[in-house]
Amino acid sequence: MNPIIWLIPVLPLLSFVLLLLFGRRLKEASAVVGSLLTLGSLILSVVVFMGQWGGASVKQTAEWLAIGDTVLTVGYEINPLNALMLVIVSFVSFLIQVYSKGYMHDDDRFPVFFAYLGLFTFAMLGLVISPNLLQLYIFWELVGVGSFLLIGYYFYKSEAREAAKKAFIMTRIGDVGLFIGIILLFWQVGSFELDAIFDAVTAGDISQGWITLTAILIFVGAIGKSGQFPLHTWLPDAMEGPTPVSALIHAATMVAAGVYLVAAMFPLFEASEAALTTVAVVGGFTAIFAATIGLAQADIKRVLAYSTVSQLGYMMLALGSSGYVAGIFHLTTHAFFKALLFLAAGSVIHAVHTQNIHEMGGLWKKMKWTAPLFLIGAMAISGVPLLSGFFSKDEILAATYADGRFGLFWIAVIATFLTAFYMFRLFFLVFTGESQGKVKKVQESPGVMVFPMVVLGILAVIAGYINTPVTPILDDYLAQNPYLEIHHHESYWWIPIVATVVSLFGIFMAWLVYAKKKVKRLSEASPDFHFILLNKYFIDETYDYSFVKGTRGFSYFWYYIDRFVVEGVIQLVTGAVGWISKTSSKAHNGQVQLYGSVAFAGMAVLLLIVAWLGGYLT
Amino acid sequence: MDSILLSALVFSPIVGILVLLFVPKAEEAAIKGVGFLATLLPLALAFIVYFGFDNTKETLQFIEQHKWIDFNLQSLQNGGDFTVSYELGVNGLSVLLLLLTAIVSTLAAAASVWIKDQTKGYFLLFLLLEIGMLGVFASQNLLLFFIFFEITLIPTFFLIGKWGYLDKEKAAFSFLIYNGLGSAILLIVFIILYMKTGTMNFTGLSAFLSQSPEMLERMYIGDNFRLGLLIALLVALGVKLPIVPLHSWMLQVHVQAPPSIVMIHSGILLKIGAYGLYQFGLGFFPGEFEKIAFWIALLGVINLLYGAFIAFVQIDFKKVLAYSSVSHMGIVLIGLGSLTDAGVQGAMFQVISHGLISALLFFLVGLMYQRTGTSLITHLGGISRVMPITAGFLLAGGLASLGLPGMSGFVSEFMAFLGLFKVMPALAAIGTLGIILTAVYMLRAVLAITFGETIEPLTKIKEARFVEWIPALVLTLLIVLIGVYPAVLSDMLQLTINAMMAGRGAVV
Repeated sequence: MNPIIWLIPVLPLLSFVLLLLFGRRLKEASAVVGSLLTLGSLILSVVVFMGQWGGASVKQTAEWLAIGDTVLTVGYEINPLNALMLVIVSFVSFLIQVYSKGYMHDDDRFPVFFAYLGLFTFAMLGLVISPNLLQLYIFWELVGVGSFLLIGYYFYKSEAREAAKKAFIMTRIGDVGLFIGIILLFWQVGSFELDAIFDAVTAGDISQGWITLTAILIFVGAIGKSGQFPLHTWLPDAMEGPTPVSALIHAATMVAAGVYLVAAMFPLFEASEAALTTVAVVGGFTAIFAATIGLAQADIKRVLAYSTVSQLGYMMLALGSSGYVAGIFHLTTHAFFKALLFLAAGSVIHAVHTQNIHEMGGLWKKMKWTAPLFLIGAMAISGVPLLSGFFSKDEILAATYADGRFGLFWIAVIATFLTAFYMFRLFFLVFTGESQGKVKKVQESPGVMVFPMVVLGILAVIAGYINTPVTPILDDYLAQNPYLEIHHHESYWWIPIVATVVSLFGIFMAWLVYAKKKVKRLSEASPDFHFILLNKYFIDETYDYSFVKGTRGFSYFWYYIDRFVVEGVIQLVTGAVGWISKTSSKAHNGQVQLYGSVAFAGMAVLLLIVAWLGGYLT
Repeated sequence: MDSILLSALVFSPIVGILVLLFVPKAEEAAIKGVGFLATLLPLALAFIVYFGFDNTKETLQFIEQHKWIDFNLQSLQNGGDFTVSYELGVNGLSVLLLLLTAIVSTLAAAASVWIKDQTKGYFLLFLLLEIGMLGVFASQNLLLFFIFFEITLIPTFFLIGKWGYLDKEKAAFSFLIYNGLGSAILLIVFIILYMKTGTMNFTGLSAFLSQSPEMLERMYIGDNFRLGLLIALLVALGVKLPIVPLHSWMLQVHVQAPPSIVMIHSGILLKIGAYGLYQFGLGFFPGEFEKIAFWIALLGVINLLYGAFIAFVQIDFKKVLAYSSVSHMGIVLIGLGSLTDAGVQGAMFQVISHGLISALLFFLVGLMYQRTGTSLITHLGGISRVMPITAGFLLAGGLASLGLPGMSGFVSEFMAFLGLFKVMPALAAIGTLGIILTAVYMLRAVLAITFGETIEPLTKIKEARFVEWIPALVLTLLIVLIGVYPAVLSDMLQLTINAMMAGRGAVV
């Protein structure tokens, strides 16, 4: 056992336990405890990550549960992919905890917040190092609980309660897919271990049909967790949680777990063309679908939430197009710039006490740090050349094109335009123009909040250089996985140019509409379409009227069956017994005549029976 | 090797009963104190049995055997002498159930501080009930099992009927009638078995019934006859478990009985049904069990979904939990019906796990009722603000109940489904709907109680004191222990289940 590795998830767990027990006494010092322990995880993660350059994967397991002759294990495994994830997760988690010290400053459940963050970080790190699907599933559910607790952090708000419940249930629907997929794979392979599964796939021990089925079931789990259509509706509602949580869980880490899952199981997916196509189509559709909704939302965090859904769709599209590196690359850059955007949004909310972008405006001069940092994030996500998003998005487009998915390619290009447009809509409405808000005296956030944003801002700019056509560092790094064959497609010189033109056009349009006000807004130009977008294509309502109400109706049906039919039969039986005893007790009335006639009738019946049985009658 | 450890364990609550007889009725505090302390003795003995049990041997342990009844029936064809012995012994499963019984009894005794009047009578019955439960799990012979089984019925009847809520008499009578019918069928099956085989010993019966079908046929125990006996057992024990549609009585008990008794009832008494199905159904009639395995699994899925759907629209939290018990007992049937190592082990895990979880949840119901005077979801709301620790435990209990990994419910659910997917994937896939529904109804109920605005009359309630939530803490820790380190159970169960499955050449 290498303590460097298992301590990585254990330190945040320790933070959870300590803060749960002693949080009340520690008060604001909870943030220090939480951050330092996560910093410990970060340092160890970096050490492990460094060790992965050229190093082989490490695996260690111990017995967990024996069933018959099968022994289920727990343990850890480090490979290039999850070493990278370890660093991303612990790094963002650490920055978020630092930021939260400022953001959650006057909250009376301060220690609880940090305890939950510890629990979440533990679960997420545990998920990443899982060497088998069962352990992965266990932590997969635990990150869900961390997310659930943090969405419902403001438990006294009924919106928070509903959002937390929705998040848990929607993701659980996906999880059941994963659950079934894992079990079916187990019966095919005889093991939950990832390498055993990949060996079986490579050796052709599993039939094509089973591979496709299990891969798609596992992908259903990813759909739920990563907010892909049609299970995306929980993610925007999850914005009811505190903003740092949105940045950590619902932007950078947990929602990317779905993408990670597909990537970690990539050898299985690659063995089935149908499964890959499913992933690509769902991803591509989600990318453009969520982007359109993002055009019309008025809540700054919801715009970012739909943007996250859309970007996760991009990652899925990349993976489905065999663009393994492209998907992971975008996951990495997205973690940085989306966390940055959320933290900047949190900083704005912290200052103006509203989330409605129509009540903001003119903050550029008042927030000297937040505004430019938000701009960097917006430029990165929009794919402005030389920032991180530019490189990763180009990779995705190229992978899609190279894979021959031309329809999805053009959808992704259009989504690029939409991304740039809605991001800069946000930027212009929030930071330029006249102030629309009620809070007149806007103050920049404290240093403890600005510092994490600056770090993320720097990364949002430079993270792209880990995998440019000139410096394919990530390519080479990830290619160390023995089960993977990294596809090197030819580079298309025209794709970056098209992407750049499209995204700059999007920014330009946003400028015309929201800064110059030369072009009519969507709400004026096409109110009906705007209405549909504003209501998110009425998907929530559709689900409510079909599944929720349907389930309730069905439940009532069975409840009434239970109350009236099941109980009714019982009443009938007991009633009948009661009636018989009552009637017969009435016969005991003390009159000799009645007794005599009953006795006579009885004897007659007995004689008849004897005669019948004796054969005298036939 | 004759130890009297098991007898001492089973009858140890008598010490408490004797002491209680000498405590004056009016000394309520003393009675409660004695009543609680009296449960510590069986608890200690149960731990001695647990630690003394050698889980590397698959044989019965701590066996006690004494000649008991001897009689002669000349008129019967196989005539001869009939002997019934007093036989106790434990395997891995019954050790765990004894320990579970002792733990839940102690915690329920602690929760009995909320009993208001006639505490002396209450605790006398309570301890008598504990004797019955311990005896059921320690018996190695049908007659003894049946006697202890009946001993559990009578105290429970009075405990519900006298110390329950508004509609307690009706609930108590439903309880008695249903369970009376169930035990009548059980008795008939037992007597038939005895008359046909001449033995009442579990091991003896298993051995006898595992003879070749031709041999059995010659002794008038043919295939159909055995199938009939198994179905009769299924009905008799199905009342206890309960299997839909034999569940109505237990809903009333869950709602009307005092919380401390529901802890026992839901935590232990229902488990006798599962234990019986395993010990007698699977143990005596493995071949026939296999024939109806599909139907048992199907009944399991029906239980699972039926309970879950109905729990979704209940407004009384106690009813939510009652239907949830129906639903969770479905998992036991699913696991047994799969007839795989994984499934059967999952079923046994579920027996223990649900015992702990439902004890926890009903303890919390009692705690809240004590302060708010209600268990209606609509009358509770936002208690997180006034009772944050209680609310935290409730949330933990709810998450455990919906099968969150890291807690015991997940391990059992997972293994039961693992087993069922092996043999009946389509049925299992339908069953997984239950996993979603459980989350739906549990979160709906638990969040409605804990989250949201604090309802006006509740704003002045005081959080429970430290001593009051010790039972909740103990149960939660046990639930997490099993969830994180399931080997604590599986090490005990492994050989027992292997021995059971070995008779039928089982798959994983």
